[in-house]
Amino acid sequence: MKIAISTERADLASNVADRFGLSPYLLVVDTQTMDFKALANPRALSRPSAGVQAVVFAISEGVEVVLTGYCGPAAYDQLVSNGIKVITNVSGIAEEAIKKYKAGGFSQGLAVEEEKEQTTRYVNRGTLVRALRSSVRQFANILPIMIGVVLCIGLFNAFVSTEALASIFSGNVVGDTLWGACFGSILAGNPINSYVIGAALLNHGISLFAVTAFIITWVTVGLVQLPAEIASLGLRFALLRNALCLVLAVPVAILTVMLLNFIIG
Amino acid sequence: MSTEKSQESKRGVSQSPKYMLIFPLLVLVIYGVLFLLIPEQAMVALKNSGKVCLNILLPLALVFVVMLALNLFVKPAQIVHLLGSGANIKGILLSVAAGIISMGPIYIWYPLLKDLREKGAGNMPIAVFLYNRAVKPFLLPVMIVYFGWLYVGILTVLTVLASVVSGYFVAMLAKRKTG
Repeated sequence: MKIAISTERADLASNVADRFGLSPYLLVVDTQTMDFKALANPRALSRPSAGVQAVVFAISEGVEVVLTGYCGPAAYDQLVSNGIKVITNVSGIAEEAIKKYKAGGFSQGLAVEEEKEQTTRYVNRGTLVRALRSSVRQFANILPIMIGVVLCIGLFNAFVSTEALASIFSGNVVGDTLWGACFGSILAGNPINSYVIGAALLNHGISLFAVTAFIITWVTVGLVQLPAEIASLGLRFALLRNALCLVLAVPVAILTVMLLNFIIG
Repeated sequence: MSTEKSQESKRGVSQSPKYMLIFPLLVLVIYGVLFLLIPEQAMVALKNSGKVCLNILLPLALVFVVMLALNLFVKPAQIVHLLGSGANIKGILLSVAAGIISMGPIYIWYPLLKDLREKGAGNMPIAVFLYNRAVKPFLLPVMIVYFGWLYVGILTVLTVLASVVSGYFVAMLAKRKTG
Protein backbone atom coordinates (compact mmCIF):
# COMPACT_ATOMS: atom_id res chain seq x y z
CA MET A 1 0.00 0.00 0.00
CA LYS A 2 1.14 3.55 -0.74
CA ILE A 3 0.75 6.32 1.79
CA ALA A 4 1.31 10.03 1.08
CA ILE A 5 2.52 12.10 3.98
CA SER A 6 3.16 15.85 4.10
CA THR A 7 6.62 16.62 5.49
CA GLU A 8 9.00 19.48 6.20
CA ARG A 9 11.97 17.78 4.47
CA ALA A 10 12.42 15.16 1.74
CA ASP A 11 13.11 12.24 4.10
CA LEU A 12 11.26 9.97 6.50
CA ALA A 13 13.06 11.40 9.54
CA SER A 14 11.37 14.74 8.88
CA ASN A 15 8.47 16.12 10.90
CA VAL A 16 4.97 15.84 9.50
CA ALA A 17 3.98 19.20 7.94
CA ASP A 18 0.89 21.01 9.15
CA ARG A 19 -0.87 21.56 5.84
CA PHE A 20 -1.26 19.06 3.01
CA GLY A 21 -1.44 21.52 0.09
CA LEU A 22 1.19 23.92 1.40
CA SER A 23 3.69 21.49 2.90
CA PRO A 24 7.28 21.79 1.61
CA TYR A 25 7.36 18.12 0.60
CA LEU A 26 4.97 15.29 -0.04
CA LEU A 27 6.41 11.80 0.44
CA VAL A 28 4.78 8.77 -1.17
CA VAL A 29 5.82 5.79 0.90
CA ASP A 30 5.46 2.10 0.08
CA THR A 31 4.45 0.62 3.44
CA GLN A 32 5.95 -2.79 2.58
CA THR A 33 9.47 -1.65 1.75
CA MET A 34 9.37 1.89 3.22
CA ASP A 35 10.83 3.13 -0.09
CA PHE A 36 9.59 6.62 -0.91
CA LYS A 37 9.33 9.30 -3.59
CA ALA A 38 9.36 12.99 -2.71
CA LEU A 39 7.59 15.89 -4.42
CA ALA A 40 8.85 19.37 -3.69
CA ASN A 41 5.72 21.45 -3.35
CA PRO A 42 5.84 24.78 -5.18
CA ARG A 43 3.85 26.43 -2.38
CA ALA A 44 5.95 29.59 -2.17
CA LEU A 45 5.67 30.25 -5.88
CA SER A 46 2.16 29.40 -6.83
CA ARG A 47 -0.21 29.11 -3.94
CA PRO A 48 -3.41 28.48 -5.96
CA SER A 49 -1.93 25.48 -7.81
CA ALA A 50 0.16 24.04 -4.97
CA GLY A 51 -2.74 22.04 -3.52
CA VAL A 52 -3.78 20.86 -6.96
CA GLN A 53 -0.27 19.61 -7.71
CA ALA A 54 -0.12 17.74 -4.43
CA VAL A 55 -3.49 16.12 -5.16
CA VAL A 56 -2.44 15.23 -8.71
CA PHE A 57 0.80 13.74 -7.41
CA ALA A 58 -1.06 11.63 -4.83
CA ILE A 59 -3.59 10.38 -7.39
CA SER A 60 -1.04 9.63 -10.10
CA GLU A 61 1.16 7.70 -7.65
CA GLY A 62 -1.74 5.42 -6.70
CA VAL A 63 -1.83 6.56 -3.08
CA GLU A 64 -4.50 4.98 -0.87
CA VAL A 65 -4.08 7.02 2.30
CA VAL A 66 -2.95 10.58 3.03
CA LEU A 67 -1.50 11.44 6.45
CA THR A 68 -1.22 15.12 7.28
CA GLY A 69 -1.76 17.75 9.95
CA TYR A 70 -4.56 19.53 8.11
CA CYS A 71 -6.14 19.14 4.69
CA GLY A 72 -8.09 22.01 3.12
CA PRO A 73 -11.67 21.26 2.03
CA ALA A 74 -10.95 21.56 -1.72
CA ALA A 75 -8.02 19.12 -1.60
CA TYR A 76 -10.00 16.88 0.77
CA ASP A 77 -12.92 16.70 -1.67
CA GLN A 78 -10.65 15.79 -4.56
CA LEU A 79 -8.74 13.15 -2.62
CA VAL A 80 -11.88 11.50 -1.22
CA SER A 81 -13.64 11.61 -4.60
CA ASN A 82 -10.64 9.72 -5.99
CA GLY A 83 -10.99 7.01 -3.32
CA ILE A 84 -8.14 8.23 -1.09
CA LYS A 85 -8.56 8.18 2.69
CA VAL A 86 -7.49 11.37 4.40
CA ILE A 87 -6.28 11.25 8.00
CA THR A 88 -5.65 14.60 9.65
CA ASN A 89 -4.24 15.73 13.01
CA VAL A 90 -1.09 13.69 12.32
CA SER A 91 2.12 15.07 13.82
CA GLY A 92 5.62 13.97 14.86
CA ILE A 93 8.21 12.12 12.78
CA ALA A 94 6.91 10.90 9.39
CA GLU A 95 8.32 7.38 9.70
CA GLU A 96 6.77 6.93 13.13
CA ALA A 97 3.43 8.28 11.90
CA ILE A 98 3.41 5.67 9.13
CA LYS A 99 4.28 2.88 11.56
CA LYS A 100 1.53 4.11 13.85
CA TYR A 101 -0.93 4.02 10.97
CA LYS A 102 0.14 0.48 10.05
CA ALA A 103 -0.47 -0.55 13.67
CA GLY A 104 -3.99 0.95 13.50
CA GLY A 105 -3.09 3.86 15.74
CA PHE A 106 -5.14 6.57 14.06
CA SER A 107 -8.63 5.56 15.13
CA GLN A 108 -9.36 9.15 16.12
CA GLY A 109 -8.37 10.44 12.73
CA LEU A 110 -10.45 7.82 10.99
CA ALA A 111 -13.41 8.75 13.13
CA VAL A 112 -13.02 12.35 11.99
CA GLU A 113 -12.89 11.20 8.38
CA GLU A 114 -16.03 9.06 8.74
CA GLU A 115 -17.81 11.97 10.36
CA LYS A 116 -16.84 14.13 7.38
CA GLU A 117 -18.22 11.52 4.99
CA GLN A 118 -21.52 11.50 6.87
CA THR A 119 -21.79 15.28 6.50
CA THR A 120 -21.71 15.14 2.73
CA ARG A 121 -24.46 17.77 2.56
CA TYR A 122 -22.19 20.29 4.19
CA VAL A 123 -19.31 19.32 1.89
CA ASN A 124 -21.58 19.84 -1.14
CA ARG A 125 -22.67 23.23 0.14
CA GLY A 126 -19.01 24.03 0.69
CA THR A 127 -18.24 22.93 -2.87
CA LEU A 128 -20.89 25.31 -4.18
CA VAL A 129 -19.50 28.19 -2.14
CA ARG A 130 -15.96 27.44 -3.36
CA ALA A 131 -17.14 27.19 -6.97
CA LEU A 132 -18.93 30.53 -6.58
CA ARG A 133 -15.83 32.15 -5.09
CA SER A 134 -13.69 30.66 -7.85
CA SER A 135 -16.05 31.92 -10.56
CA VAL A 136 -16.24 35.41 -9.04
CA ARG A 137 -12.43 35.51 -8.83
CA GLN A 138 -12.02 34.33 -12.45
CA PHE A 139 -14.65 36.81 -13.57
CA ALA A 140 -13.01 39.61 -11.63
CA ASN A 141 -9.71 38.69 -13.30
CA ILE A 142 -11.29 39.06 -16.73
CA LEU A 143 -13.04 42.39 -16.07
CA PRO A 144 -10.23 45.00 -15.68
CA ILE A 145 -8.49 44.03 -18.92
CA MET A 146 -11.82 43.65 -20.64
CA ILE A 147 -12.90 47.16 -19.60
CA GLY A 148 -9.57 48.44 -20.95
CA VAL A 149 -10.13 46.61 -24.23
CA VAL A 150 -13.68 47.95 -24.59
CA LEU A 151 -12.42 51.49 -23.98
CA CYS A 152 -9.67 50.89 -26.57
CA ILE A 153 -12.27 49.71 -29.07
CA GLY A 154 -14.04 53.04 -28.57
CA LEU A 155 -10.80 54.89 -29.32
CA PHE A 156 -10.06 52.59 -32.23
CA ASN A 157 -13.47 53.19 -33.79
CA ALA A 158 -13.23 56.94 -33.29
CA PHE A 159 -9.66 57.52 -34.42
CA VAL A 160 -8.48 54.73 -36.74
CA SER A 161 -9.69 55.14 -40.27
CA THR A 162 -10.61 52.35 -42.61
CA GLU A 163 -8.03 53.74 -45.04
CA ALA A 164 -5.24 53.28 -42.48
CA LEU A 165 -6.23 49.65 -41.94
CA ALA A 166 -6.46 49.09 -45.68
CA SER A 167 -2.77 49.94 -45.94
CA ILE A 168 -2.02 46.78 -43.86
CA PHE A 169 -4.89 44.55 -44.91
CA SER A 170 -4.80 44.80 -48.68
CA GLY A 171 -7.63 42.40 -49.49
CA ASN A 172 -5.37 39.50 -50.41
CA VAL A 173 -6.88 36.45 -48.66
CA VAL A 174 -3.65 34.66 -47.75
CA GLY A 175 -1.73 37.85 -46.94
CA ASP A 176 -4.51 39.27 -44.76
CA THR A 177 -5.02 35.96 -42.98
CA LEU A 178 -1.31 35.74 -42.24
CA TRP A 179 -1.34 39.31 -40.88
CA GLY A 180 -4.32 38.43 -38.69
CA ALA A 181 -2.49 35.34 -37.42
CA CYS A 182 0.61 37.39 -36.63
CA PHE A 183 -1.35 40.01 -34.68
CA GLY A 184 -3.11 37.28 -32.68
CA SER A 185 0.25 35.67 -31.86
CA ILE A 186 1.65 38.87 -30.41
CA LEU A 187 -1.37 39.71 -28.29
CA ALA A 188 -2.43 37.61 -25.34
CA GLY A 189 -4.99 37.45 -22.58
CA ASN A 190 -8.49 36.13 -22.14
CA PRO A 191 -9.96 34.98 -25.50
CA ILE A 192 -13.07 37.10 -24.90
CA ASN A 193 -10.94 40.14 -25.73
CA SER A 194 -10.02 38.64 -29.10
CA TYR A 195 -13.73 38.35 -29.94
CA VAL A 196 -14.40 42.00 -29.05
CA ILE A 197 -11.36 43.21 -31.01
CA GLY A 198 -12.19 40.85 -33.90
CA ALA A 199 -15.71 42.25 -34.13
CA ALA A 200 -14.33 45.80 -34.18
CA LEU A 201 -11.92 44.86 -36.97
CA LEU A 202 -14.81 43.35 -38.95
CA ASN A 203 -16.73 46.62 -38.58
CA HIS A 204 -13.75 48.39 -40.12
CA GLY A 205 -13.92 46.17 -43.18
CA ILE A 206 -11.14 43.74 -42.30
CA SER A 207 -11.92 40.36 -43.85
CA LEU A 208 -13.34 37.50 -41.77
CA PHE A 209 -10.33 35.44 -42.91
CA ALA A 210 -7.95 37.75 -41.05
CA VAL A 211 -10.22 38.07 -38.03
CA THR A 212 -10.60 34.29 -37.76
CA ALA A 213 -6.84 33.76 -37.90
CA PHE A 214 -6.46 36.49 -35.28
CA ILE A 215 -8.92 34.73 -32.93
CA ILE A 216 -7.26 31.32 -33.44
CA THR A 217 -3.69 32.44 -32.77
CA TRP A 218 -4.73 34.62 -29.81
CA VAL A 219 -4.94 31.38 -27.80
CA THR A 220 -2.95 28.79 -29.74
CA VAL A 221 0.21 30.86 -30.23
CA GLY A 222 1.67 32.65 -27.25
CA LEU A 223 4.74 34.79 -27.75
CA VAL A 224 4.23 36.40 -24.34
CA GLN A 225 4.03 33.03 -22.59
CA LEU A 226 6.77 31.46 -24.72
CA PRO A 227 9.49 31.71 -22.01
CA ALA A 228 7.22 29.90 -19.53
CA GLU A 229 6.34 27.24 -22.12
CA ILE A 230 10.01 26.72 -22.99
CA ALA A 231 10.91 26.38 -19.30
CA SER A 232 8.19 23.79 -18.72
CA LEU A 233 8.04 21.80 -21.93
CA GLY A 234 11.39 22.44 -23.57
CA LEU A 235 12.69 24.77 -26.28
CA ARG A 236 12.11 22.35 -29.18
CA PHE A 237 8.57 21.49 -28.19
CA ALA A 238 7.58 25.10 -27.50
CA LEU A 239 9.06 26.52 -30.73
CA LEU A 240 7.70 23.71 -32.88
CA ARG A 241 4.24 23.92 -31.35
CA ASN A 242 3.96 27.69 -31.66
CA ALA A 243 5.34 27.75 -35.22
CA LEU A 244 3.00 24.96 -36.33
CA CYS A 245 0.00 26.65 -34.72
CA LEU A 246 0.84 29.93 -36.48
CA VAL A 247 1.11 28.22 -39.86
CA LEU A 248 -1.97 26.06 -39.23
CA ALA A 249 -4.09 29.10 -38.35
CA VAL A 250 -4.01 30.27 -41.99
CA PRO A 251 -5.63 27.20 -43.61
CA VAL A 252 -8.02 26.74 -40.67
CA ALA A 253 -9.20 30.35 -40.99
CA ILE A 254 -9.56 30.13 -44.77
CA LEU A 255 -11.41 26.81 -44.52
CA THR A 256 -13.73 28.17 -41.81
CA VAL A 257 -14.79 31.17 -43.87
CA MET A 258 -15.06 29.16 -47.10
CA LEU A 259 -17.29 26.59 -45.39
CA LEU A 260 -19.37 29.36 -43.87
CA ASN A 261 -19.81 31.03 -47.25
CA PHE A 262 -20.59 27.69 -48.89
CA ILE A 263 -23.30 26.86 -46.31
CA ILE A 264 -24.84 30.33 -46.35
CA GLY A 265 -24.69 30.25 -50.15
CA MET B 1 12.66 11.23 -6.89
CA SER B 2 11.02 14.28 -8.33
CA THR B 3 12.24 16.89 -5.91
CA GLU B 4 12.82 19.71 -8.35
CA LYS B 5 10.96 22.88 -7.65
CA SER B 6 8.69 24.37 -10.26
CA GLN B 7 9.90 27.80 -11.26
CA GLU B 8 7.53 28.33 -14.15
CA SER B 9 4.97 30.39 -12.32
CA LYS B 10 7.63 32.98 -11.60
CA ARG B 11 8.02 33.49 -15.31
CA GLY B 12 4.30 33.59 -16.01
CA VAL B 13 2.31 36.74 -16.29
CA SER B 14 1.46 38.01 -12.84
CA GLN B 15 -2.12 37.64 -11.69
CA SER B 16 -1.72 40.42 -9.18
CA PRO B 17 -4.65 42.89 -9.24
CA LYS B 18 -2.09 45.74 -9.45
CA TYR B 19 -0.76 44.50 -12.81
CA MET B 20 -4.25 43.87 -14.13
CA LEU B 21 -5.24 47.44 -13.39
CA ILE B 22 -2.28 49.03 -15.22
CA PHE B 23 -3.79 48.57 -18.68
CA PRO B 24 -7.30 49.95 -17.99
CA LEU B 25 -5.79 52.81 -15.96
CA LEU B 26 -3.49 53.69 -18.86
CA VAL B 27 -6.47 53.75 -21.21
CA LEU B 28 -8.35 55.99 -18.77
CA VAL B 29 -5.38 58.37 -18.71
CA ILE B 30 -5.46 58.49 -22.52
CA TYR B 31 -9.18 59.28 -22.35
CA GLY B 32 -8.45 62.02 -19.80
CA VAL B 33 -5.87 63.62 -22.08
CA LEU B 34 -8.18 63.34 -25.09
CA PHE B 35 -11.04 64.95 -23.19
CA LEU B 36 -8.77 67.90 -22.46
CA LEU B 37 -7.48 68.22 -26.03
CA ILE B 38 -10.34 67.08 -28.29
CA PRO B 39 -13.43 66.58 -26.10
CA GLU B 40 -15.86 65.99 -28.97
CA GLN B 41 -13.98 63.08 -30.47
CA ALA B 42 -13.22 61.69 -27.02
CA MET B 43 -16.96 61.67 -26.30
CA VAL B 44 -17.56 59.80 -29.57
CA ALA B 45 -14.98 57.20 -28.47
CA LEU B 46 -16.62 56.87 -25.04
CA LYS B 47 -20.06 56.43 -26.61
CA ASN B 48 -18.61 53.75 -28.90
CA SER B 49 -17.27 51.94 -25.85
CA GLY B 50 -20.65 52.21 -24.15
CA LYS B 51 -22.33 50.53 -27.13
CA VAL B 52 -19.80 47.69 -27.10
CA CYS B 53 -20.36 47.33 -23.35
CA LEU B 54 -24.15 47.08 -23.71
CA ASN B 55 -23.77 44.43 -26.41
CA ILE B 56 -21.77 42.11 -24.19
CA LEU B 57 -23.63 42.47 -20.87
CA LEU B 58 -26.05 39.59 -21.39
CA PRO B 59 -23.44 37.21 -22.88
CA LEU B 60 -21.18 38.05 -19.93
CA ALA B 61 -23.92 36.96 -17.51
CA LEU B 62 -24.11 33.65 -19.37
CA VAL B 63 -20.33 33.41 -19.21
CA PHE B 64 -20.55 33.57 -15.42
CA VAL B 65 -23.21 30.83 -15.27
CA VAL B 66 -21.22 28.42 -17.47
CA MET B 67 -18.04 29.28 -15.56
CA LEU B 68 -19.79 28.39 -12.29
CA ALA B 69 -21.05 25.08 -13.72
CA LEU B 70 -17.55 24.15 -14.88
CA ASN B 71 -16.06 25.09 -11.50
CA LEU B 72 -18.69 22.94 -9.79
CA PHE B 73 -18.33 19.81 -11.86
CA VAL B 74 -14.80 19.87 -13.31
CA LYS B 75 -11.73 19.54 -11.10
CA PRO B 76 -8.14 20.19 -12.27
CA ALA B 77 -7.09 16.76 -10.97
CA GLN B 78 -9.68 15.11 -13.23
CA ILE B 79 -8.37 17.08 -16.21
CA VAL B 80 -4.79 16.04 -15.58
CA HIS B 81 -6.02 12.47 -15.19
CA LEU B 82 -7.66 12.72 -18.65
CA LEU B 83 -4.41 13.98 -20.14
CA GLY B 84 -2.37 11.05 -18.94
CA SER B 85 -4.29 8.55 -21.04
CA GLY B 86 -1.72 8.06 -23.80
CA ALA B 87 -1.51 8.83 -27.51
CA ASN B 88 -4.12 6.37 -28.80
CA ILE B 89 -7.50 7.51 -30.14
CA LYS B 90 -9.07 7.42 -26.67
CA GLY B 91 -6.13 9.36 -25.24
CA ILE B 92 -6.38 12.02 -27.95
CA LEU B 93 -10.13 12.42 -27.46
CA LEU B 94 -9.58 12.77 -23.72
CA SER B 95 -6.87 15.38 -24.35
CA VAL B 96 -9.32 17.29 -26.57
CA ALA B 97 -11.91 17.17 -23.78
CA ALA B 98 -9.33 18.20 -21.17
CA GLY B 99 -8.24 21.20 -23.27
CA ILE B 100 -11.82 22.33 -23.83
CA ILE B 101 -12.93 22.15 -20.20
CA SER B 102 -9.69 23.48 -18.70
CA MET B 103 -9.98 26.97 -17.28
CA GLY B 104 -7.73 29.72 -15.98
CA PRO B 105 -4.58 31.22 -17.47
CA ILE B 106 -2.26 28.91 -19.34
CA TYR B 107 0.75 29.46 -17.06
CA ILE B 108 -1.11 27.72 -14.20
CA TRP B 109 -1.15 24.59 -16.34
CA TYR B 110 2.53 24.54 -17.31
CA PRO B 111 3.81 22.99 -14.04
CA LEU B 112 1.18 20.25 -14.27
CA LEU B 113 1.98 19.57 -17.93
CA LYS B 114 5.65 19.37 -17.07
CA ASP B 115 4.87 16.90 -14.32
CA LEU B 116 2.80 14.83 -16.75
CA ARG B 117 5.61 14.87 -19.29
CA GLU B 118 8.00 13.56 -16.63
CA LYS B 119 5.54 10.77 -15.88
CA GLY B 120 5.64 9.68 -19.53
CA ALA B 121 2.85 11.63 -21.23
CA GLY B 122 3.76 12.16 -24.90
CA ASN B 123 4.07 15.40 -26.86
CA MET B 124 0.89 14.74 -28.84
CA PRO B 125 -1.65 14.83 -25.99
CA ILE B 126 0.03 17.89 -24.50
CA ALA B 127 0.02 19.74 -27.85
CA VAL B 128 -3.61 18.71 -28.45
CA PHE B 129 -4.52 19.93 -24.97
CA LEU B 130 -2.87 23.32 -25.52
CA TYR B 131 -4.55 23.84 -28.92
CA ASN B 132 -7.99 22.98 -27.60
CA ARG B 133 -7.76 25.71 -25.02
CA ALA B 134 -8.91 27.88 -27.95
CA VAL B 135 -12.36 26.30 -27.53
CA LYS B 136 -13.91 27.92 -24.49
CA PRO B 137 -17.44 26.70 -23.70
CA PHE B 138 -18.02 29.46 -21.16
CA LEU B 139 -17.15 32.16 -23.72
CA LEU B 140 -19.28 30.75 -26.53
CA PRO B 141 -22.25 33.06 -25.71
CA VAL B 142 -20.08 36.12 -26.40
CA MET B 143 -18.62 34.62 -29.55
CA ILE B 144 -22.07 33.69 -30.86
CA VAL B 145 -23.39 37.23 -30.26
CA TYR B 146 -20.57 38.64 -32.38
CA PHE B 147 -20.13 36.01 -35.10
CA GLY B 148 -23.25 33.82 -35.16
CA TRP B 149 -23.98 30.16 -34.41
CA LEU B 150 -22.87 28.79 -37.72
CA TYR B 151 -19.48 30.47 -37.72
CA VAL B 152 -18.80 29.43 -34.12
CA GLY B 153 -19.88 25.85 -34.87
CA ILE B 154 -17.63 25.55 -37.92
CA LEU B 155 -14.67 27.18 -36.19
CA THR B 156 -15.06 24.94 -33.13
CA VAL B 157 -15.14 21.74 -35.19
CA LEU B 158 -12.16 22.84 -37.31
CA THR B 159 -10.22 23.90 -34.20
CA VAL B 160 -10.66 20.45 -32.68
CA LEU B 161 -9.55 18.80 -35.95
CA ALA B 162 -6.61 21.18 -36.27
CA SER B 163 -5.56 20.35 -32.71
CA VAL B 164 -5.08 16.73 -33.71
CA VAL B 165 -3.11 17.74 -36.82
CA SER B 166 -0.96 20.07 -34.74
CA GLY B 167 -0.43 17.39 -32.07
CA TYR B 168 0.55 14.82 -34.69
CA PHE B 169 3.12 17.07 -36.38
CA VAL B 170 4.55 18.37 -33.11
CA ALA B 171 5.01 14.78 -31.90
CA MET B 172 6.48 13.66 -35.23
CA LEU B 173 8.89 16.57 -35.68
CA ALA B 174 9.99 16.62 -32.05
CA LYS B 175 10.71 12.89 -32.27
CA ARG B 176 12.57 13.20 -35.58
CA LYS B 177 14.79 15.98 -34.27
CA THR B 178 15.46 14.08 -31.07
CA GLY B 179 16.27 10.90 -32.89
